[in-house]
Amino acid sequence: MVKIIIFLLLLSSASFSKNVYERHCVECHKKLPTTLQRIFMRYLLVYSGEKNMKAGLRHYLRHPSKEISVMYPLFIDNYGIKSPTRLTKSELNEILNIYWNKFKVFQKLK
Amino acid sequence: MAIVIFTVLLLSWYYYQSQEKLMLAQQRASLSKYAYIQTKRLKVLHHFFDDRVTYPRDSRFNSAIFDLEYKKIFSLLDEKRVKLLGGSYLIGEHIHLVKILDEFYLGAKYLIIEIKNDTQWQGLVWKNILFYGIMSFIIFMLFGLYFAKLFLKPMRNSIVLLDRFIKDTTHELNTPLSAILANIEMMDRDIMSEKNRKKLDRINIAAKMVSLLYKDLTYLTLEQENFNKDEILNLKEIIEERTEYFAILVESKKIKFVLNLEDAILIIDRKKITRVIDNLISNAIKYNYREGIIGIDLKKGELIIWDTGIGINNSEIPFMFDRYSRFNQSEGGFGVGLSIVKSVLDEYKINIIINSIEKKGTRMILKW
Repeated sequence: MVKIIIFLLLLSSASFSKNVYERHCVECHKKLPTTLQRIFMRYLLVYSGEKNMKAGLRHYLRHPSKEISVMYPLFIDNYGIKSPTRLTKSELNEILNIYWNKFKVFQKLK
Repeated sequence: MAIVIFTVLLLSWYYYQSQEKLMLAQQRASLSKYAYIQTKRLKVLHHFFDDRVTYPRDSRFNSAIFDLEYKKIFSLLDEKRVKLLGGSYLIGEHIHLVKILDEFYLGAKYLIIEIKNDTQWQGLVWKNILFYGIMSFIIFMLFGLYFAKLFLKPMRNSIVLLDRFIKDTTHELNTPLSAILANIEMMDRDIMSEKNRKKLDRINIAAKMVSLLYKDLTYLTLEQENFNKDEILNLKEIIEERTEYFAILVESKKIKFVLNLEDAILIIDRKKITRVIDNLISNAIKYNYREGIIGIDLKKGELIIWDTGIGINNSEIPFMFDRYSRFNQSEGGFGVGLSIVKSVLDEYKINIIINSIEKKGTRMILKW
C-alpha cells in the first residue's frame, strides 16, 4: 500500500514539474505528424513580427477555424481543427512567450 | 548676385538629384536580380530551419532581413542606417534596395540588398556641376549687367546732363553774383526810404540764397577734388560768423536763433566745415515755420543743430543724403546740400545722427 502511494506521489510531482506549455501543447501535438517547430515556421511565414504572430496565434487558439488556420488544407482535412482553448489569459500569454522563445529565429542565424 | 547664385545652386541640386535617380535606375536591374536570388535562398533556409542556421552569403552583395515590426533579424550590411520604405536609395558609400517580401521567410518582411556605390558617376556629376555652374553664373551675370546697364542708361544720362549743366553754369554765375553782393554792401541804407530798405533786404536775401547755392555747386563740381587745407579751428567762431551771415534770412521768416556755444576745436578744412554748417543752418531755415526756432548747441566733440520745422518722415531719413534727392518740392534747390554734408563728414569720420518728428522738428547731431 505504501509503495502504491509513493508511486502515485512521484507520478503527480513528475507531471507538475512540466511547464504550462509542455502540459497543454506538447502533450497533444506529440500525436500529430508535424512538429511544433514546423507549425511555428508556418506562423512566422504569415505573421512575421513577434507581437503580430502572438496576436494571430492567440486569436486562433481562442477561435479556431479552417479559414484562419495557417496549416495546409490537406493537413486540416486529415486532422481537423482543435477545439477552442479553455486556458486563462495569463496561461495563454505564458504559453505564447515560451513558444516564441523556444523557436524564434532571432540570434540563431549565423 | 544672390539670386544668380541661388538659381545656379538650385539647378545644380536638380541636376544632381536627376543623375542620382538615373544611376539608381541603372543599378536597379542587378539589385532586383540579387534580391530574387536571396529570396530563393531565404525560402530554402526557412524550410530547413533550424537544422540549417547559416545565413546565405554572396560575394556580389551584402544583405539583411527585418521583420514586420522593423526588428533586425539578421544583417551583413556595412552601412547600418536603413530606410525600410521600399525601393532603392543611396546612403553613404552604398546603394540599398529594399524589397518587401510577399511571404515572410524566417519572419522577414524587408529584405535589403546592399552594393558599393560606384563613385565614378559622382565625380562626373560634380565636374559637370562645377563647369556648367560657373558657365551659367558668368552668363547670368553678363545678362544681368547688360540689362542693368540698359535700364539705368536713361537715369545715368540725366545725371550726367545735370552735372554738366551745373558745371557749365557755375562758371558763369560767379561774376554777376559777386557784383550784386558787393553793391548791396556798398549801398547807403541811411538815405533810403523804409520801403526801399525793405526791397534791398529782399534783394540781399535772394542774393545770399543764390550765393549759398553757388558755393555748394562750386564745391561739388570744382573744389571737391582739391587738396584739403586742414587747420585747427574753433567751431564756436565759425558758427557765430555763419549765424551772422544768415541773420537777414532768419529775420525774414521771423525765426529766432538760440545759441548755446562752448569752445570746440576741430582740425578740418575751413571751406568744407563752412559748407556743412551753412547747409545745416540753411535747411533749418528753409524747412522751419514762420516764427520758429533754430537752436545750435556746441560742446567738445558734439554739435547739435535743431529746429522747430516741418520735420521729415523717418522712412525717408536714410535717403536724405542722396544727391538730387528732395522731399519737399515747395522749397527751391538742387538737393545737393546734404550730399555735400555727408561727403565731408564721412571724409573726416564725423558721425551724423538725425532725429526727426513730422510737424515738430529735426535734430542733426554731429559727433566726432
